[in-house]
Amino acid sequence: MVILIVLAAGISFLSSCKSSDESRKKILKIYNWADYIDEDLLTEFPVWYKEQTGEDVKIVYQVFDMPEVMYTKIAMGKEDFDLSCPTQYIIEKMLKNDLLLPIDRNFGKTKDYMGNVSPFLLERMDAFSVPGKKAADYMLPYMWGTSGLLYNKDKVSDEEVKSWACLWDQKNKGKILMKDHYWDVYNMAAIFGCYPDIVSGKRSRYDVSNDHADEDIAMVEKQLKALRPNLAGWEADFGKDMMTKGTIWLNYAWSGDAVWAIEEAAQVNVSLGYEVPKEGSNIWFDGWIIPRYAENVKAASYFLNYLCQSEVALRNMDISGFCSAIATPEIIEALKDTTLTETVNASYFFGPGNEMLQLNPIQYPDSSVVERCVLLHDFMDKNDQVLEMWSRVKGNNL
Amino acid sequence: MIKKALSASYLGIILLILYSPILIIIIFSFTEAKVLGNWTGFSLKLYTSIFSGGIHHSLTNALWNTLIIGLVAAFVSTALGTMAAIGIYNLLPRTQKTIKMVNTIPILNPDIITAISLFLLFVSLGFSQGYITVILAHITFCTPYVVLSVLPRLRRMNPNLYEAALDLGATPFLAVRRILIPELKPGMLSGFILAFTLSIDDFVVTLFTIGNEGLETLSTYIYADARKGGLTPELRPLSTIIFVTVLLLLLVINKKAAKLKL
Amino acid sequence: MLKKVVSFSGRRRNWVIPYVLFLAFFVIAPMVLIIYYAFTNPEGAFTFANIKKFWVHPEVLNTFLYSVVVALITTFLCILIGYPAAYILSKMESRKAKLIVILFILPMWINFLIRTLATVALFDFFRIPLGQGALIFGMVYNFLPFMIYPIYNTLQKTDQNLIEAAQDLGANPRQVFLRTEFPLSVPGITSGILMVFMPVISTFAIAELLTLNNIKLFGTTLQENIYNGTWNYGAALSLIVLLLIGATTLINREGNSKAAEEGNLI
Repeated sequence: MVILIVLAAGISFLSSCKSSDESRKKILKIYNWADYIDEDLLTEFPVWYKEQTGEDVKIVYQVFDMPEVMYTKIAMGKEDFDLSCPTQYIIEKMLKNDLLLPIDRNFGKTKDYMGNVSPFLLERMDAFSVPGKKAADYMLPYMWGTSGLLYNKDKVSDEEVKSWACLWDQKNKGKILMKDHYWDVYNMAAIFGCYPDIVSGKRSRYDVSNDHADEDIAMVEKQLKALRPNLAGWEADFGKDMMTKGTIWLNYAWSGDAVWAIEEAAQVNVSLGYEVPKEGSNIWFDGWIIPRYAENVKAASYFLNYLCQSEVALRNMDISGFCSAIATPEIIEALKDTTLTETVNASYFFGPGNEMLQLNPIQYPDSSVVERCVLLHDFMDKNDQVLEMWSRVKGNNL
Repeated sequence: MIKKALSASYLGIILLILYSPILIIIIFSFTEAKVLGNWTGFSLKLYTSIFSGGIHHSLTNALWNTLIIGLVAAFVSTALGTMAAIGIYNLLPRTQKTIKMVNTIPILNPDIITAISLFLLFVSLGFSQGYITVILAHITFCTPYVVLSVLPRLRRMNPNLYEAALDLGATPFLAVRRILIPELKPGMLSGFILAFTLSIDDFVVTLFTIGNEGLETLSTYIYADARKGGLTPELRPLSTIIFVTVLLLLLVINKKAAKLKL
Repeated sequence: MLKKVVSFSGRRRNWVIPYVLFLAFFVIAPMVLIIYYAFTNPEGAFTFANIKKFWVHPEVLNTFLYSVVVALITTFLCILIGYPAAYILSKMESRKAKLIVILFILPMWINFLIRTLATVALFDFFRIPLGQGALIFGMVYNFLPFMIYPIYNTLQKTDQNLIEAAQDLGANPRQVFLRTEFPLSVPGITSGILMVFMPVISTFAIAELLTLNNIKLFGTTLQENIYNGTWNYGAALSLIVLLLIGATTLINREGNSKAAEEGNLI
């Protein structure tokens, strides 16, 4: 009897794992974060693709919990994913290590929607280009945002969070969670520490964030070591949860997470807010890339084109809760919130004529906020040094 | 009398503490809050959401996969492990020790190392990853536990029974079936349960042997889910339902076994 | 020919061959790969640099030692709490005992991450701050069943005749326990230690969630190295740990000749 059960199970799984006879060219393998795309699109795209090209395609969708896993699998295992959507620092690393394929923009008779991406992001992204490879050819920004402070309005005043200094304030001891991510934290400490230089014009924010000079690293180390006793701990993803519970008052957060947290906290009568402090912060984005071992570049490129349409972008924004890189008038129309009293100057994103838009300022920060945000670069050859500094900061357990 | 009461309460307290997180999950399955620990008022919405097809299709897939992989891996590990245990028991001491040492490696190895070593193995062999690789990987870390569960039973067994059966004209296979297996059954059963438990809860090894064809297990689904946007609230009622079902099943089986034995 | 096959497979010790082949392929070969990675650099050249890096970095050593201490405490607590529980169970009626043993294992069927998040919520609920205490609680919580199970199995099989013999010889219950049952149960304890000690050192999610990342266990160090792509160093670290801890565990049991004879689980 037992043998029968085993056999039955064996047959059922064997038959399901035998890949179909479809040639690999008819499959599109996508590797993405969870809850980051409207999954109905995965069934609608093949229909659109057939209309546009007359070819069939089937999407195989897989999720990762961390993009590092994706990087590892591709770098060490030569996995043949066609598309993936990692964060910008992984993209930079992949481009540098020759792990990306260019997007094929020969769309034939199909309209090229990829121009819908905000030039603002394309410009910033260009900083990732390496000799011979323009960044814009290899990646498509998907969602973007700022990093800043998520704070509990009842415990920390709006004034206090206008500066990163509130993190070092004894009054908030044990109520702060920092991101367990050396990139963001380094940047924050560097900008905060060098703020006098920035104000006086001696150094630009971009330099402070991306120079990684030895003196900067040493200064950051001092700052962070002073910060550590004030923290409750470090987190990678549960920070926003704890903010909604009210046990933590301050959390370094990304704008998309902040929007989620504010909404969730409101349901339990906790009032949260988000602010990008005056010293400055960074802009981040996730982008789609085609890994080196992809086998269906054509369908992958068409998929990216598909994603750039306004309606599709709106649906993805809705599901993920983050802010899309697509900048079209349709988006403004769909997202504008006439109940808002303050407007944002979003012309940097949507183009001239959009100086007074009624949009959620966390999703679409005012140009004054964006001016004090930089795009972060890979630490390159300073990486080991910064990592060592980071482990000294995180310190011994005792 | 007091002794009995004390013992019972000792076990009771431990079980209570062991089950308190589970209780939390059950309690908070009755509220809509996204974050586990927030209470937004009593609500059955999550339960209805599961039953009205609100559950993500890939979650059902993941659940199904986890079950199949778990059962197959557990069955194969038990069979393989029992055979191995019988074999090991009859080896010379020196060979016994070596094999037992190698057998312990998967238990001692950090699971992330097992994961990447198997990943490297499959990659260098050009093995396409998917169901089969995951099951093989699970068998790798489950079988040692089965071996450890069965060996002691072999030692306790009267060694003469097997010989006696052979003397009475039984073939080796018949002797195994009628004499050895019944003696080993408890060990095999506990090995099976252990193997199944380890398999369904595994994350890292599964993550690195899962391939790129869209295969998911409950663990990979939950971990991926928890990273972005927090744990899906529907997992709370789902876990509750699974848990209660298994508990009830256990009690029923236990009652039935009682009736049969007595 | 067929006769040879039949007689070959009739000899019980040949039954280990399928498993030996399996081990060679799925345990030894991957270990060889790990050893290869541990002793090479990313370009593939042979080097001892990875091993050196471990000894040169005080934080990694510190993390390692701390993890060992946590593992010792956890193992000790598991034995302290688990042994009496297993003992009580072994004295109970077999069917009821089996049910309760399974009840101990049942929480493991709820996914690890959910369990741990629920533990966090539990601590929040009782307003107990997270930290070292929560860490130990979480560890013992997750590994207690692995200690109870083997001890129960071993105790349960204790030959009743031996106990009765001891009683006949005039031993009081305490002596019966200390001189007969306990020594015979040592293999079960050893088995439990095996299943608890090393895994505690290599777990990562528990420390992350229950101490707000303030305490870093060795498992986290390993995970970081693997996820950041520095597999050579990661492989070296795991080898070092395996050799240090694994070797001492195995050698210890080699020397434990008393238990090695009767009913040794390993």
